[in-house]
Amino acid sequence: MSDSQSIQASLRSRAAELLASDQVAELIGWGAGRFPDQTTPLFITQADQAEGLVYSEYCQNTLGKYAITELSELVADQGKLAICVRGCESRGINRMLKDNQIERDRLYLLGIPCSGMKNRQSGELLSKCMNCSHKNPVIYDELLGETVAEGEPDRFGAVCALEECDRASREQYFDAAFDRCIRCYACREVCPVCTCRECFVDQHEVGWQGKQGNTTENRFYSLTRAFHISDRCVECGECERACPMGLPLMVLNRKLVKDLDDLFQAGEAGLDAVAVNSLGTYDVADVEEFM
Amino acid sequence: MSVVETNVATTGAMATGANSPAAAESWQPSILAFACHWCTYSGADLAGLNRMEYPANVRLLRVPCSGRVNPQYVLSALGKGADGVLVCGCHPGDCHYVSGNYYAKRRLMAFKRLLEFTGLEPGRFQVRWISGSEAGKFRDTVTRVCEEVRALGPLTTDQRQALADPVLAGAAATTQAGEAQ
Repeated sequence: MSDSQSIQASLRSRAAELLASDQVAELIGWGAGRFPDQTTPLFITQADQAEGLVYSEYCQNTLGKYAITELSELVADQGKLAICVRGCESRGINRMLKDNQIERDRLYLLGIPCSGMKNRQSGELLSKCMNCSHKNPVIYDELLGETVAEGEPDRFGAVCALEECDRASREQYFDAAFDRCIRCYACREVCPVCTCRECFVDQHEVGWQGKQGNTTENRFYSLTRAFHISDRCVECGECERACPMGLPLMVLNRKLVKDLDDLFQAGEAGLDAVAVNSLGTYDVADVEEFM
Repeated sequence: MSVVETNVATTGAMATGANSPAAAESWQPSILAFACHWCTYSGADLAGLNRMEYPANVRLLRVPCSGRVNPQYVLSALGKGADGVLVCGCHPGDCHYVSGNYYAKRRLMAFKRLLEFTGLEPGRFQVRWISGSEAGKFRDTVTRVCEEVRALGPLTTDQRQALADPVLAGAAATTQAGEAQ
């Protein structure tokens, strides 16, 4: 029995126990999709539905963000909300806890160590999983399966490669990328950090975001989105996976993560639920370059 | 926001008109400068009192504090017609609101790097601390930024390209004439 099969078996039995004992009112995991190996997020409330849970190497979706909507619909005394958390999801959960979007005592976290997910068609490791720095969940109530060895991720490889290019080619590269953007806002929808009740792009009366579908407006959206999450990005890579037009969104996010770390020793976001955001504070001894 | 749009729309329209090949030689850069009310704006006032001369390409936009400058303002200005943006505030330690410029510093340092990473010339977005007594520094800064942006030439944006297009520009002119009537 492979690792993921044994995790699937223990996930199903634990889910059934938790739901049957009313400790948990709802559980979020993955279920089978329409196509072979395809999975989709699954929301279950009955113990007998636990057999529908799937855990394989093709569980692409990151589940963390569903906690916000599901918790808002769940009555507090009905029981907790259980979620499967891998490294990426657990950091997103920490981030949402820090942002006061969800409450820890209403969550039951089923930790799953993850060696990376694969594209079901090509069988290759997903790009978001290639440079994962936390394969094991950083916060959980119980762990299913054995912890896996952490790799040596090259988180900033793509950023450094672009930084070495000259300005004109970077401009060309990003213009081509922003030109493709269709502003579907999928990157915002899946992001565990984009939790504003009203996003700036939806403030039509204020008019931050123009209506035209052109490179300038797309650049405005993408750069603002990246900057809004800059010091909080947990690097789950879900924005880039969700993007239907293949924009290099993680390059923008990681550029900011890298700079904030170089300048202000910001470190990685979402490792706990208490750390102060690097742009939400200051130090009088900060580097000075505007004198 | 509406202030930013109005201000930049005016400068942008000027620059756009000058964008056509015939007017290329007479092109003037338009630069939007966000000036903190307590330091830089007073510094600019002092420069005026002292009859100092500086390029008229710079439009000052007074803000309560450099910490008030949302990076979106900068992107908005660059997307809507400004060739360069300058953000000025009190020296670190001198902020009227104690710490506004320290937050602005962190924010704008990261944001400047992001803009340059995605291809903006470094000269087009600059930040400087100018106190209320530094009229000379205000004049020198504004003059230098203006010359740097002038050397870089007009910033290409979709809005400008649309206005430079004879068909689209004609349609816009007709609409405006109709509205005037």
